[in-house]
Amino acid sequence: MTRISPSTGQKIIYLFLIFLGGFILYVDINTNNFQKIKNGFNSFQISTHFFIKSFSIDPIMDFRNHFQFKNKLIKENKELHTALEKSYVEKYLISQDSKFFKDKKFLEELDQNNLNKPFHMAQLKNLDPGIFNCCDKHRIHIQLLTESNESLIEGVVFNSSGVIGHIIHEMNYKEVMLLTDVSHSLPIKNVSEDFYCNARGSGMSDYLICNYNPLISNKEMEIGQNFLTSGFGGIYPKDIKIGILEDIKVIDSNNTELKIKLSSNPLDSILFGVINF
Amino acid sequence: MKNYIKVIFIIAIINFIELSISNALSKAYIIFPLTFLFYSYYVYKSDENINPIEAFLFGLFVDLISNSYFGLNAILFCLTTYLINIYSNSFKLFSNLQICIFFGLSAASYVGFTQLILNLYNFSYLTLLVSAVFNIFFCIFIALISMYSGNLINIRK
Repeated sequence: MTRISPSTGQKIIYLFLIFLGGFILYVDINTNNFQKIKNGFNSFQISTHFFIKSFSIDPIMDFRNHFQFKNKLIKENKELHTALEKSYVEKYLISQDSKFFKDKKFLEELDQNNLNKPFHMAQLKNLDPGIFNCCDKHRIHIQLLTESNESLIEGVVFNSSGVIGHIIHEMNYKEVMLLTDVSHSLPIKNVSEDFYCNARGSGMSDYLICNYNPLISNKEMEIGQNFLTSGFGGIYPKDIKIGILEDIKVIDSNNTELKIKLSSNPLDSILFGVINF
Repeated sequence: MKNYIKVIFIIAIINFIELSISNALSKAYIIFPLTFLFYSYYVYKSDENINPIEAFLFGLFVDLISNSYFGLNAILFCLTTYLINIYSNSFKLFSNLQICIFFGLSAASYVGFTQLILNLYNFSYLTLLVSAVFNIFFCIFIALISMYSGNLINIRK
């Protein structure tokens, strides 16, 4: 069947829609006006996924487990696994207690076994592993395991391997901007505290990029040296280990690029700690 | 209306498949825009011209489900629909290989545009080139399957 080429009227509509699309794209990139729609859809998607799973896959799995008389063992195993992951997160926090909690109040609360008070445990709800290899935008969604009425926007998110990012939006689920997101900027310093810079996300998994002018800062850099948070941004606490220097690239006489390999990995566990300062 | 819901449902499933395999393929520097290719195929196979508003809305829907910026797929879907509608009659004069190259290259252009917007800091020509070759071969593969086994999916209007 022959198709008719688009008429002049249709061409005008195409042109109009392309301009409209361009305008929407510009607004979305430069503002957060569509964030609510996206978050709403993400919440709907995640909830639907779990709802459908709870009525389809989970009963089959439960029946199978019951049939094999292993459900108790599996439950215990799951609980142990969760407890182990939780202990890893707590261990990380305790090892960094002097940096996260300068007043040592946290340790007193730990002694009283009141772990829920100083920080919140959260569970991974949505992560697209593909984003680490394709996109500039590195985000994950988490859900608090403990109920909290306080706003956790800009709350630091960490797992057993270290700090992974901070919360930027909260609806049913909290959206976490990872350190590797290209719009993320983290003030860091070296161990001897004579070099500071703003490390931005590289858009690649595991790496941060730090550009500086060697004419201004003539500090000699060594591969393998450690970098810590400087605490200047006001979101992350001071002196938390971020990663090690892996590569130095001289772009021109005014610009040197440091490639820092992160010590933390968001894929390490499904449990996270969230802390708000 | 029934057909629109059918196409939207298929797009959602194909987008899910695309997102599921994208991680594995990206290790081989391949970006495989399966949703875009499916939509192009839908427009190509359609007996009537696809309405520009329909193309725009399908694009917005893909933007929503693929978590990309709003407007990105809307623009590209509009452009593809326009191009396919213009050349719909000329395609009949082309060989299957030429049509496959056209769709493969349009998929590569799609990859290029989306990478410019979504992954500007790590834009890679290697990825673009490898994706172009992969997409052309994929189109040829699909064309061969259709030739030897008839129409696999009937999505004609």
